[in-house]
Amino acid sequence: MSGSLGTLLTVPFERPYLTRALIELLLLGGAAGVVGVFVLLRRLAFLADALTHTVFPGVVIGFLVSGQHGIFPGALAVGCLSAALFTGLAATRRVAEDATLAILLTGFFAVGVVLVSRRSSYTSDLTAFLFGRVLTVDDGDIVTTAVVTGAVVLLLAALRKELLLVAFDPQAAQAAGYRVIALDLALNLSIALVVVAAVRAVGTVLVIALIVVPAAAARLLSDRLLVITVLAALFGMASGWIGLLVSYQVSVDHGIRLATGATVVLVLVAGYLLALAATAARARSRRAAPGALPGSATHPALAGEAAGPAAPSATDAPARAAPRGPVR
Amino acid sequence: MSPSPAPSTDALVLADATVAYGRVAALERVNGRVPAGRTVALIGPNGAGKSTLIKAILGLVPVVSGAITVLGQAPAKARREVGYVPQADTLDADFPVSVAQVVLMGRYRRIGWVRRPGAEDRAAAAAALDAVGLAHRARERFGTLSGGQRQRVLLARAIAANPRLLLLDEPFNGVDAVSQDALLAALAKLTAAGTAVVISTHDLALAHLACDDVCLLNRHQFAFGPPAATLTPELLRATYGGAAVELGAHGVLVARP
Amino acid sequence: MRYRGDVRPSPAPANPGRSARAGRLTAVVLGLAVTLALAACGSSGGGSEARAGGKLRVVATTTQAADFSRMIGGGLVTVTQLIKPNVDPHDYDPSPADLNALASADVLVVNGAGLESWLDDAVSASGFEGTRVVMADGVSLREGTGAEAGKPDPHIWHDPRNARIMVSGIEKGFAAADPAGAPTFGRNLAGYLTALDTLDRRDAAEIATIPARQRLLVTNHDAFGYYTARYGLTYIGSIIPSFDTSAELSGKAIQNIVTKIRATGAKAVFSESSLPPKTADAIGQEAGVAVIAGENSLYADSLGPASSAGASYLNAEEHNTDVIVKALR
Repeated sequence: MSGSLGTLLTVPFERPYLTRALIELLLLGGAAGVVGVFVLLRRLAFLADALTHTVFPGVVIGFLVSGQHGIFPGALAVGCLSAALFTGLAATRRVAEDATLAILLTGFFAVGVVLVSRRSSYTSDLTAFLFGRVLTVDDGDIVTTAVVTGAVVLLLAALRKELLLVAFDPQAAQAAGYRVIALDLALNLSIALVVVAAVRAVGTVLVIALIVVPAAAARLLSDRLLVITVLAALFGMASGWIGLLVSYQVSVDHGIRLATGATVVLVLVAGYLLALAATAARARSRRAAPGALPGSATHPALAGEAAGPAAPSATDAPARAAPRGPVR
Repeated sequence: MSPSPAPSTDALVLADATVAYGRVAALERVNGRVPAGRTVALIGPNGAGKSTLIKAILGLVPVVSGAITVLGQAPAKARREVGYVPQADTLDADFPVSVAQVVLMGRYRRIGWVRRPGAEDRAAAAAALDAVGLAHRARERFGTLSGGQRQRVLLARAIAANPRLLLLDEPFNGVDAVSQDALLAALAKLTAAGTAVVISTHDLALAHLACDDVCLLNRHQFAFGPPAATLTPELLRATYGGAAVELGAHGVLVARP
Repeated sequence: MRYRGDVRPSPAPANPGRSARAGRLTAVVLGLAVTLALAACGSSGGGSEARAGGKLRVVATTTQAADFSRMIGGGLVTVTQLIKPNVDPHDYDPSPADLNALASADVLVVNGAGLESWLDDAVSASGFEGTRVVMADGVSLREGTGAEAGKPDPHIWHDPRNARIMVSGIEKGFAAADPAGAPTFGRNLAGYLTALDTLDRRDAAEIATIPARQRLLVTNHDAFGYYTARYGLTYIGSIIPSFDTSAELSGKAIQNIVTKIRATGAKAVFSESSLPPKTADAIGQEAGVAVIAGENSLYADSLGPASSAGASYLNAEEHNTDVIVKALR
């Protein structure tokens, strides 16, 4: 093996197209990781997936109207529209939300496919929309991505405590006077914006992995929201970096074609499995040492074990036996 | 009936209030007043409208006739000074949030948009957590506490904002004795300081023990008054329909709340 | 409230989180390190920087462009071929190796006429700064009909007279980039032009042996416009009514072609090497005519792989003519 870790880290800066691809993936990975945390907390993974499908006809319409430069505005318009639509839908509570989302998701997507197949040479365009073409992003694309992801991260940072409250206890949020629908709309728009920004580089099919997996892996590794958010962003960015470089080296050294977007997703999944393994190993070592206190359980499967009434009550304060009968 | 003080100091006034979701009246013609520092229990079977009344006091469900006055204002306007404690078991036990963070949530409205919690907010949250006896669990994840402890944390969350009226929705359901004590102790301190409290509950003994007044509800109001006058076999039977069974002269057992 | 109980919290226990937190951090770091190490195992030195031994570095897009480049350039060039045999040139996603080759290329040979829509992005991303040879320059293009109206037909190489223009353009480009090699390129060109003329005469003679009313061509997609124009065949239609192999077939299109086949009495439907013969089979069955597929498939978009009958342009064109003549005679 004539290569080294050092080469891996410096190669992106030797080839301009790789540098651009790397910057694009870092921006997307970081923003998607952060958005993903809120998607996880508010349990919106399915809605996020639906958004990636509904954005697709916007991509196609924009492309049909003004070529490559029309993709972003088209996706943006339809993405925001879908986000508003889904938010309104969730608010009505009349129709089963999952089913309605599924119908909208497939309907929109089919419209997109019908539109794109009317062009006689459509498969390369279709593939580019679905899976992205990160190696040919230009400076304009990077600026657009930076602006959009920056706006999303700023918005989420500004609203973070209210979004936390709505995710944790929407009833209390409403009781406190917050308009839950408006906050949901802000979050859904953020998701839509990340999806739109990612279309060029990773494509609509793979962006959902970039949103969901880093946050899920980070959740396995920590209980604290700030740590989870930072880990998710780092994990998203690291996966972009590693995926780009693995697909690069495999292509250059072995002549094997590994689509960059898909490789990034594989790295994401591998990272998640590592986190899962690390958590399981730690759980096993803790079970072997029963002196550990219950408060540090993190894996969801173990949460029930620690939340049982027996252990925590022992550390509580039974100052006196409570009188149960009427006391005047 | 206890002597009613001047109306302007009443925390809550229900004047012939009818509350409806759309066209269906959930609760009709409720009357009563809760002065500062007093506690009222809302008692009635499931579906009686207790939660609905609480939501109406919060301004979340419309009052179609009569009026609800909270701290001298319309319910929606008074929200800043009204605390709400939902049932803890509706919350996700895996949520990555610490006990201290949950209590701090009660201060969000005061902090306002975008700004971060300050020293004053953290101090108020710490004091509230101490009031329910869980200051030593502040750094732990909310979901690792027992049901009763979580309920106490939610009470602390509401207390952190120094409310003048506190609404609790079935706070004693499935709560162990120690936590029940802690809840009652904290509520006692609050009422001593002038906060009015409304608790919806099934626990007749607790209502008897801890509340100044009882409001019997089952889509209509059956009584409003001190426990001795209201928690009588006849009234309870009327409120609960056929689900109440008399136990001689000593009381009534509610078989199917 | 009348309850007057009192609750005092017990003293706080030791902080349980510290060792657990350290454990988590270790897991994270280990995980990242392992992932990076695995990725690093796949890396090796910067291969594509190898000196081309003084030869002209040529990148060619299509199989035909690569073949022509090798014929004209001979031993003075190294040719990197982007599109491998049986890969659709309309729909191609350049790999990092391709972009690296482009970055260090002296000459880029492309088909043009709208065949490589993906090319411009790749060229600008790679930072290519050499000479670009567009083989379609100087070729008179035919226009598409129906769905392809207004667009040029890019399959220009099937007419050997066009091929003459294409290879001449390549020679000019090579000579400009490597003046020292110009004499060699010129000699190679002269030899190849002769071969093209021979091909042209041979094809014309073979096709003349098909009875006039049988000179009816039904292909998989519309790739043979220049061929039929050159040799006097009548193009009945194609199964996929477009220049691009991936357009969708509609029921109506299938019926149209079947009707035309029956009406004109065309004897065969020709499938092509880079596409599965399923649709051709279906239509052949429906219309009751022979389907020429498998080994006898035509080389329409792409030349064949190294060991096949169509590995070079000259071989592929001869093969096509032989197959067509045999089926229609």
